[in-house]
Amino acid sequence: MTGSLFVQSIGFGLVTASILALASVGFTLQFGVSNILNLAYGDLMTASAFAGYAVNHAGGSIPESLAAGAGFGALASMLLNRYVYRPFVRHGTKLFGMVVVTLAVGIILQNILLGAYGATFFSYSFSTGRQVHILGMVFDTSQLMIIGLSVVVMILVQLLLTRTRLGKAMRATAANPSLAQASGIATDQVTDLAWLISGALCGLAGVVLVLNTSAFQSTTGNDFLVIIVAAAMLGGVGNPTGAMLASIVLGVVTEMAAGFLTPSFKEVIAFGVLVVVLLFRPTGIFGQGATVKEIPA
Amino acid sequence: MEQARESAAPGEAILSVAGLRREFGGVWACTDATFDLRRGAITSLIGPNGAGKSTVVGIVGGAIAPSAGRIVFDGTDITAMPPHRRARAGLVRTYQLSSEFGRLTVLENLLVAAPGQHGERIRTLLYGKRYWRQQEVELLGQARILLDRFAMKHKEDEYAGNLSGGQKRLLEIMRALMCQPKLLLLDEPMAGVNPTLAQAIEGYLADLAAEGLTMLLVEHELGLVERLSESVIVMAHGEVIATGSMPDLRRRPEVLNAYLAG
Amino acid sequence: MSSAFSFYLTTLLVYLGVDILAVWSLNLQYGVAGIYNFAWIMFQAVGAYTAGVLTLGADTGNGGFQQYILGLRLPEPLPVLLAGVVAGALALVVGIVALRRLRTDYQAMVMLVISVIALLVVENVTGLFNGPAGLSLIPQPYGSLPLSTLGYQWFYVALTAATCLFVYLFVHRVTSSPLGRALRATRDNEDAAQALGKDVVRLRLFIFVMGGAIAGISGAVLILFIGAWSPGSWAYVETLVVLTAVIVGGTGNNFGVMLGALLVPVAFNEATRFIPPFGRPGLVDALQWIVIGGLALVFLWFWPRGIVPERRRRFPGGPLVAPAEMTDPSEVT
Repeated sequence: MTGSLFVQSIGFGLVTASILALASVGFTLQFGVSNILNLAYGDLMTASAFAGYAVNHAGGSIPESLAAGAGFGALASMLLNRYVYRPFVRHGTKLFGMVVVTLAVGIILQNILLGAYGATFFSYSFSTGRQVHILGMVFDTSQLMIIGLSVVVMILVQLLLTRTRLGKAMRATAANPSLAQASGIATDQVTDLAWLISGALCGLAGVVLVLNTSAFQSTTGNDFLVIIVAAAMLGGVGNPTGAMLASIVLGVVTEMAAGFLTPSFKEVIAFGVLVVVLLFRPTGIFGQGATVKEIPA
Repeated sequence: MEQARESAAPGEAILSVAGLRREFGGVWACTDATFDLRRGAITSLIGPNGAGKSTVVGIVGGAIAPSAGRIVFDGTDITAMPPHRRARAGLVRTYQLSSEFGRLTVLENLLVAAPGQHGERIRTLLYGKRYWRQQEVELLGQARILLDRFAMKHKEDEYAGNLSGGQKRLLEIMRALMCQPKLLLLDEPMAGVNPTLAQAIEGYLADLAAEGLTMLLVEHELGLVERLSESVIVMAHGEVIATGSMPDLRRRPEVLNAYLAG
Repeated sequence: MSSAFSFYLTTLLVYLGVDILAVWSLNLQYGVAGIYNFAWIMFQAVGAYTAGVLTLGADTGNGGFQQYILGLRLPEPLPVLLAGVVAGALALVVGIVALRRLRTDYQAMVMLVISVIALLVVENVTGLFNGPAGLSLIPQPYGSLPLSTLGYQWFYVALTAATCLFVYLFVHRVTSSPLGRALRATRDNEDAAQALGKDVVRLRLFIFVMGGAIAGISGAVLILFIGAWSPGSWAYVETLVVLTAVIVGGTGNNFGVMLGALLVPVAFNEATRFIPPFGRPGLVDALQWIVIGGLALVFLWFWPRGIVPERRRRFPGGPLVAPAEMTDPSEVT
């Protein structure tokens, strides 16, 4: 258990945390604004990764692939909510029914990808760049890019939510849709935009995820879903800041567990942490909305 | 071992509430509720909106835990008792919002309310139908008598979720009665009910009181309150500010102020 | 009938029996009691593994290529019964820990995470149940009987049917008794049920344990038929197949869900078997999953109560007026 292993784990942890932050903030935004736990999120990430791959394979650069992934994710997510999820909710489907709906959509999506691309592994072609030493941690330039991208995007998201009219409208719609509508907010349009933005995050996260792993296939995004849900729940579903912080915690904890214990156990630790936290604080560390509400006088 | 419970004689306090306090997220919904309920009487709880009436009912019923205070029911301190045990002890509440079991029929709603059913014990798995059949027949009889009394007999096989608002109100009351309550907490039973039905419900409540059922009625309509109850408790700003009969209270400045100030 | 067809038919019947046990168990938890058990598959798995390690001999046998705990070579039907007990015990632990007052989708998520944790633990702690490779070469129960291969198949069908009948006795007692009624009331309005004196926590825990035990028994029957079981058989999406069967067949109705078991896992899997494999390998399987997902969506939209919804309980001596159907068809609790 050397000091350098410890420090290096933190390094890995930051990379994982960056990917997780992009993904979980998108996921939690969708929950916040539409009250839906979108279990198809991981598969949308995979689909976006394939979109980026198509661009990359045709000779596109990494930024172009990222843009393609983000664009695909944005559009696909928005259309999904508008033409599948929202109609089901309006039709009267309750919370648990919606979980089944999103799960079914995810399975359909994943298997379309499987059918179209087969079960083989794919990778982007790009150079990982040279190695950079920072504070005892070793990174590839591509990993630094991931961290940098994540930080920039997170700042932009925070600014969006707190400083812009759209952001305020999104928060209002998330807190109380009928009240928001009564105050003149066009909740349907706001929701569509929220899904575009969170979908873009989903797409970015998908491309970045597969850039960080050496190869990916149709199930890669879905395998990542559970830890995304974990980060969102830990931070309090619907709370983007909470999700960011929870991502850092989970990212670092999983990599440190991988470094000091067997790598295969890292997810178990992360989920174990999640379950323990949820049992004592069902709303997550920062959130509200997990328990059935009392009606105060 | 349960404390020996002696039922309060008529006229004595069946429920004593002292110093109830409860806050929600920094706001004190109830700062000091103290009152007694006499056995065999209908007592009304009135006050402007936000006075804390529903909080008090929630605390007495057991759904809300008090931050401080003590509740004694029929000689037993029930402050820490979970809601389902209070019901078994004879303290039953009805809800302001409809709380019927939507996918059960009206008759099933009544049957399920009856306490002490053998058929609900886990050992029914081992013993089968003969373990509970007799009791079920008796309960069916009781339920049908109630349905008849409240003129809902024709709806007995209807899904409770399909009933009209007024019918759901009646179901709520009938269901509470199947529990064989010693004390019935009625949280705004007339809310949203049309005048004809309200009159009918008033009649039923008066009959039940005449038969000796103790009730605590949370109500807004003061005329109704005056007709039904001898004793009235007034709450404002989370505390009990006055108790007495309606004519009595009408003359008290603090009561008038509470209503005018809102 | 040709012996190949008989073989096929008997296999189908055993799978049907297993799926019937599965839907009854999930129906008790979800349809009757309103518990959102997204970890259902975990209970089937633990039952399968238990039956496996109790039927197998010590893990040094067969050249020692597997590692697992126990290996007691117990005589039938002990492994199946113990599978139910262990799965029930697991349900008790999970229930005490996770059956809280959480909103329904949150509870589904917590359950899902728990089942993923279980899968990861089993895959990584190889000494438990032989890790990712899983258990295999499990001896057939009553294998020493003088039966032909086909004869044994029919024998197993009979065993499965007997198990189903035995379980049905208990399932029926729950759903047709005041106990079932109290559970349904808890499902419809937990607060009101509590206010009427029902011990909601205890009731829910009981049905969760019972459902878990039956799930475990279904796993035991399955593993002893196939002779093998691995983590690949119990990814969390498998719960969706059973859940779809419950939704399609009729939530809350024991016979309805049997129909769902017939239509979804069985008829559906078998129908696609006859499609000649075309395109890439795995394409047909992918299409199969797409159709299952699509089926779930279609049913959730049009018939959220299922083909045979929960039956209305009537009591003798009532009025003769015909009451209306449940008017909110889009309600999926």
